[in-house]
Amino acid sequence: MTTDRSPLLQRFSVLLLAALIAGGCSGKDGDAGGKVTVAFWHSCVSSTVPALNELIAKFEEEHPGIRIKAQYVPTGDALIQKLITSVQSKTAPDISWIHANFLQSIIDADAIYKMDDFIHSADSLSAADLADIFPPLMEEAKWRGTLYSLPMEATGIGLLYNKELFRNAGLDPERGPRDWAELRAYAKKLTIDKNGDGKIDQFGFFVPAFPASGPLGDWMVWQFYPFLFQAGGNNINGEQTQVLYNSQAGVEALTLWKEIYHENKLSSFGIDYEPAFASKQLAMALDGPWNLPRWKQIPGLDWMVAPMPKGPAKQSTIVGGEYLAIFKQSAHPKEAWTFVKWMVRPDVQALWSMKSGYLPIRHAVRLIKEYNDYLDAHPALKTYVDQMDFAQVPNPIDYDALKISRHLAEAIERATVGNADPRAVLEESAARSNALLKASSGKATR
Amino acid sequence: MTAPAETPRVIPPAELPQKVSTKKPKGRSDLSSALAFLSPTLIVLSAFVFFPVVFSFYLSFHSWNMFSSTESFVGVGNYSSIVQNPEFWSVLKNTAVYTLGTVPLNMVISLGIAYFLNKKLAGKKLLRTAFFAPVVMSSVAAAVIWRWVYEPSFGLLNYGLSWFGIPAVNWLNNPTSAMFALIVMGVWKTFGFNMVLFSAGLQGIPEHYYEAAQIDGAGKWKQFWNITVPLLSPTTFFVLVMSVIGSFQVFDTVYVLTSGGPLGSTKVLVFYLYEQAFKFFDMGYASAVAYLLFAVVFILTMLQMKYLRGSIHYSS
Repeated sequence: MTTDRSPLLQRFSVLLLAALIAGGCSGKDGDAGGKVTVAFWHSCVSSTVPALNELIAKFEEEHPGIRIKAQYVPTGDALIQKLITSVQSKTAPDISWIHANFLQSIIDADAIYKMDDFIHSADSLSAADLADIFPPLMEEAKWRGTLYSLPMEATGIGLLYNKELFRNAGLDPERGPRDWAELRAYAKKLTIDKNGDGKIDQFGFFVPAFPASGPLGDWMVWQFYPFLFQAGGNNINGEQTQVLYNSQAGVEALTLWKEIYHENKLSSFGIDYEPAFASKQLAMALDGPWNLPRWKQIPGLDWMVAPMPKGPAKQSTIVGGEYLAIFKQSAHPKEAWTFVKWMVRPDVQALWSMKSGYLPIRHAVRLIKEYNDYLDAHPALKTYVDQMDFAQVPNPIDYDALKISRHLAEAIERATVGNADPRAVLEESAARSNALLKASSGKATR
Repeated sequence: MTAPAETPRVIPPAELPQKVSTKKPKGRSDLSSALAFLSPTLIVLSAFVFFPVVFSFYLSFHSWNMFSSTESFVGVGNYSSIVQNPEFWSVLKNTAVYTLGTVPLNMVISLGIAYFLNKKLAGKKLLRTAFFAPVVMSSVAAAVIWRWVYEPSFGLLNYGLSWFGIPAVNWLNNPTSAMFALIVMGVWKTFGFNMVLFSAGLQGIPEHYYEAAQIDGAGKWKQFWNITVPLLSPTTFFVLVMSVIGSFQVFDTVYVLTSGGPLGSTKVLVFYLYEQAFKFFDMGYASAVAYLLFAVVFILTMLQMKYLRGSIHYSS
């Protein structure tokens, strides 16, 4: 009996041991073959990973001495958890891709370099280069006025719509709704109960009313900001002493969402808008450029992306970025900087945008003929890129940004799903946010 | 020294223990070899169980965000801010509702099925395996499946209901139905385990009790009520205690199905703890929540011990 079992058991334990050793070593592996290995963690949208690998191959070709070891971590939330543990256990990567939201945490841990340390080095980035990057992105890359990171890509949101359903409803399929009133009217017109059984068969517009406590809570807030901007509002004042989302602009924006939510009977809609859009059960939704490859793959879907509608105050949308930060634990900060600097080069940005669908971070990319030709051939991407000219970022929140975002998310969910009064819920959330701001104002002088 | 060359190969049986025992004091060597053999388990347990338990108790009196190298002492500050937070009480209430929804339903179903399967029945093993399958399934994978079952437009459940003319329900995005949906999935996921426990308990009841009752003219229901229920009570008690503990710790299905929404209606204690710890990085606060959870479960278990122990009957 034992003689039967032991080889299997042995083999198994050898395997296990090998796995353990491999697992233990993967954090830091040696510089193979005279090359410097730079570990790069990211959670780019999974569909863009092949494009990133191509980009890295190009970088390695241009820089034979450097090997980039990219590690994909699904979702930004998981990435930040991994980064924190790695900083504590001294196994941090050299470079990480990071959401602006999480910069504070990483800076708090004193884990990353200031970008100034590299920008003013011999291998610098010129002032003209820095000025060429879209200012809202540079604002987000900073923390309390100090530049800690550089953007790798930009994202935005636009209005995804189904041209076929527009045509069926007698709407012009070549353009989206121009302003809030049109958005509401279109949404109503496109919400159809085909067989009169009381069940809605086609929804006009998906108001992103996600659970505030869920993984999409922050994403819901992010999609709410353009409406807040369009009504002339902002999230917080510049001194960070008071939130502003409960202003009249906030009430107007949330009222619009609430009205559309109920007029479109979204309480009978799930939260997975993508399959609904793909199966023509949904006519319009807010969406980002990362989904462009997905829609292209669906046969028979006649879709387009329109610019965000104009609000009562102005035309605006939100722009976001993902940022590259260099860790102090890195053994090769110089090589890491080489990669970061390479990443913001206009031609690299153009390539990255064309391959991945992310938006370029700087103006100079639009001067590249090849890129403009590409945009002409891809009008949906062009919509997103064109919107960069009037895109905004919310004001920075240095402390408790995630909790304040949660408060706003709760207000949005309560007004839409919970059918509560927008002003009342915004005031209630703002009171809690302001209490947090007051408590952290002591830290502000740090 | 022990065995001269000319000693016969076979050692006389009486000699062996004597020799060994007189050779040297054994206590220490036994302990050290025991420790050596136990060390893999001990190391793993210390690193992943004992240390976290102690450290999280320590943290519950501190404020720490995981990033900074130091944690500041706040005394019972975390505990007092938790009990003053209305969200904690609503989360505790949700957890209680979940427990009250799953535990009785779970026990009735699992006992019913175990009783049914205890009879001589064709395909019994197959059925038992099928009922047990959800227990061994990864709970996240199972929850993803259920998410699609509950999907309002494409979901299997609404499709089935539509045959009976029942209008579509937005199970997971409606504050009144989301908890119900979680409870149903929770019962489905765990009843198989209790079914096995009940099956074992049922098999432990001697057949002759039933025979005697039958001769005395007791019907099926009387037999069940007067023989099965009392003699199964040790199992029932164990199942109850374990189920209550288990449902207070529910997390993964909530995380995947509803993420605590809509409107916080399904936010349970462990989900709340998770978001304090890994969303807002408030480790001290989260540790204090963990210890409050421990206290609640501990008190509930003690109460069950105190009030239900008297009604347990042992067969011998």
